[in-house]
Amino acid sequence: MNLQWQQAWDAVWLSPYLGLFLTLLSFQLGLWLFRFSAQKPFLHPVMVSVVSLCALLLLTDLSFERYMDSAHMISQFLGPVIVALAIPLYENLKALRLYWLPFLLSNVLGGAITILVAVGILFFAGGSDMSVNSMWTKSITTAFALQIAPQIGGMAAIAAAIIMFTGILGALMAPTLFRWFNITQAPAQGCALGVCAHAVGTSKALEYGSEQGAFAALSMSFMGILCAFALPFLLTV
Amino acid sequence: MLYGLIIFIAFLLLGDFLSALLAWPVPGSVMGMLMLFAVLVIRGGISSPLKQSSQGLLPYLPLFIVPASVGIVNYMDVVREEGVLILTAMVVSLAIGIPVCGWLAQKAMSFKAGGRS
Repeated sequence: MNLQWQQAWDAVWLSPYLGLFLTLLSFQLGLWLFRFSAQKPFLHPVMVSVVSLCALLLLTDLSFERYMDSAHMISQFLGPVIVALAIPLYENLKALRLYWLPFLLSNVLGGAITILVAVGILFFAGGSDMSVNSMWTKSITTAFALQIAPQIGGMAAIAAAIIMFTGILGALMAPTLFRWFNITQAPAQGCALGVCAHAVGTSKALEYGSEQGAFAALSMSFMGILCAFALPFLLTV
Repeated sequence: MLYGLIIFIAFLLLGDFLSALLAWPVPGSVMGMLMLFAVLVIRGGISSPLKQSSQGLLPYLPLFIVPASVGIVNYMDVVREEGVLILTAMVVSLAIGIPVCGWLAQKAMSFKAGGRS
């Protein structure tokens, strides 16, 4: 019998399910690593998954276009899942009854400051238009940013990388900064994590407590909505 | 699961419809989320199939952003040329932003509680 090794390998390597499979596999790997490492922020599942997939794409002849053709169906869930965020938003709303003023102040003013500092530094240090435009979305969760970045002349992929690192760095830096600046109250910690470190910050906030988690989740959604409405109007290309 | 997914996609389409109708550059998904949120506030509760679907779907949100994020492989020149600069801008912005956000919230809270700090 004559075994067709090359054809057999091609059937796998060129399969329309390859990108889907690799994405699910690397993400599951990331989830395990995250759990076994006691949730170290730099071992966040998205980080592990994206870095290993990038390495594979750069080292083999698998192009991003061919990968995306297959993984595209995962991206398509992004729209419905953003709509689904209305449910935790509604459930967390009662946390705002007492603290709507601190929440708004921290989100609107604090959010504007952290975004302007990052964009300002990049702009005056001579960053390219593409990265400056992508930086505007740094404080919103990736799901929102992927849809907003192209509308303001940024690049969805660059925005996603910026956001991933912001989230991870934010979650790493927050405990020290809270100690140094004496940020001890739950709503304040939650808002700071949600505004500055969005989704990764929200999971960090949940480690502090459910009140921090609620404020972080609210801040993350609120910043996303605020930026979704403000940025395209402020920065139309 | 299916029921919720239908509702979510229905609101997504409704959001796309409204964004296009008004010619607003706001993503349809965000419009859809706001409309569903408004419906929940008006109805004053979440039906249990809807809650089940959201609990089934939301834990995988990070997975759904992976494929688009991998797109960075097409921009390795940007990473090489501006990576350090972008990282610096990020760290400085976080070092300022986190304390400022926390401090603003705490200031406003102590103000509400009558100057208690």
